[in-house]
Amino acid sequence: MERRLAALRRAVVAEVEDMNRLIFHVLRGGIVLSVAFILFAFVLDAVSGAGLPAATLLPRDIVREVSRFNPSGFLSLGILVLLLTPVARVLLSLISYAKERDLTYVGITGVVLANLLIGILLGVG
Amino acid sequence: MPALEVLALLAAASFLAGVAGSFLGIGGGVFLIPFMTLVLGVPLHVAIAVSLVGVIATSSGAASVYVRDRLTNLRLGMFLEIATTVGALTGAFVAVYVDARALFVTFAIVVFYAAVHMARTKEETAKERAYRTAPEPRVARRLGLGSVYYDQEDGAVYRYRVDRPWAGFGVSAVAGAMSGLLGLGGGFVKVPAMNQLMRVPMKSAVATSNFMIGVTAAASAFVYYSRNLLDPALASMVVIGVFTGTHIGTRLMMRSRPQRVRLVFAGFLAVLAILMGLRAFFPGVIL
Repeated sequence: MERRLAALRRAVVAEVEDMNRLIFHVLRGGIVLSVAFILFAFVLDAVSGAGLPAATLLPRDIVREVSRFNPSGFLSLGILVLLLTPVARVLLSLISYAKERDLTYVGITGVVLANLLIGILLGVG
Repeated sequence: MPALEVLALLAAASFLAGVAGSFLGIGGGVFLIPFMTLVLGVPLHVAIAVSLVGVIATSSGAASVYVRDRLTNLRLGMFLEIATTVGALTGAFVAVYVDARALFVTFAIVVFYAAVHMARTKEETAKERAYRTAPEPRVARRLGLGSVYYDQEDGAVYRYRVDRPWAGFGVSAVAGAMSGLLGLGGGFVKVPAMNQLMRVPMKSAVATSNFMIGVTAAASAFVYYSRNLLDPALASMVVIGVFTGTHIGTRLMMRSRPQRVRLVFAGFLAVLAILMGLRAFFPGVIL
């Protein structure tokens, strides 16, 4: 009985640890990737002298500018990646709670994700 | 593209905002928006847009560290984020209808009260952190909001409960509305709400607030992104500066005594209350 309890406790701790590590990597990865794109954009700008825009580009323009290796595309891409990092974190938390069968927090996280998606739709629409 | 001096100054200011933001559990918008409008002459709506990006950067940079080091209360953060995201969306909508002066006077008073309350809170002893006479609130127990954290400063592990969760929920909605209205992360509301109202230990409150503000800011940031209000050169400087600053701020916070963090936060709130009071009577300048 005691061994089973100990094993259960280890399993719970392991799950929390997994969630912590996952969130750490998503948040860290998001901002590091963002900084990488931004720095790359400045390098490209120094090399090509193409100049940077006054406002951020919409996704389809980003795709076009990035494929042409224009600094403006990478700059907007870096910023967009950063903006999407919290969304990614919430999404991955949702999947994580679903895997743990924690329905209450699947619900809570789902509401937060829905609110974020509304914010994105209001932005794009 | 803005002048080189402007970009350099903004990067330096963002570094400081990142240090302060990760230490205090705020996004840094309360520093960066006045800096951009007053010192750099950036138009207010662009400053708000850039500030939101800075909040997300502070959040991602600092919260990643705090989550890894098990300071953050993930469940409490998630629970309160329902309120903050709804608040942020609402705030963005009603921004046009709100009487700015009344809003700022109200906030100046509330923030000042929070500053005094916080400064007068006694040192968090282990007994106070753990001691509870009343039973745990039902929703706090059902949602498992209480948690445990490891304090690097004294090498101890502390278990705590969350009190008055619905009051905290309501206040978080207000924090979200501040974000939608002003381009802030709302951390200056969230940290006192968690630490003073819900009795979450100071370091966990700071860590959880950092965790939450990114989501809150993201709720309104996309609107600014697509409406040509976000200057990518300015935003880039903020991201790089803030990211660098969070490395230092997080280390400082984790090594400090909780009471020191709380007193610095109270001092920050007092200054903020004065700024908000000034803003009520000199609009369009500071916030």
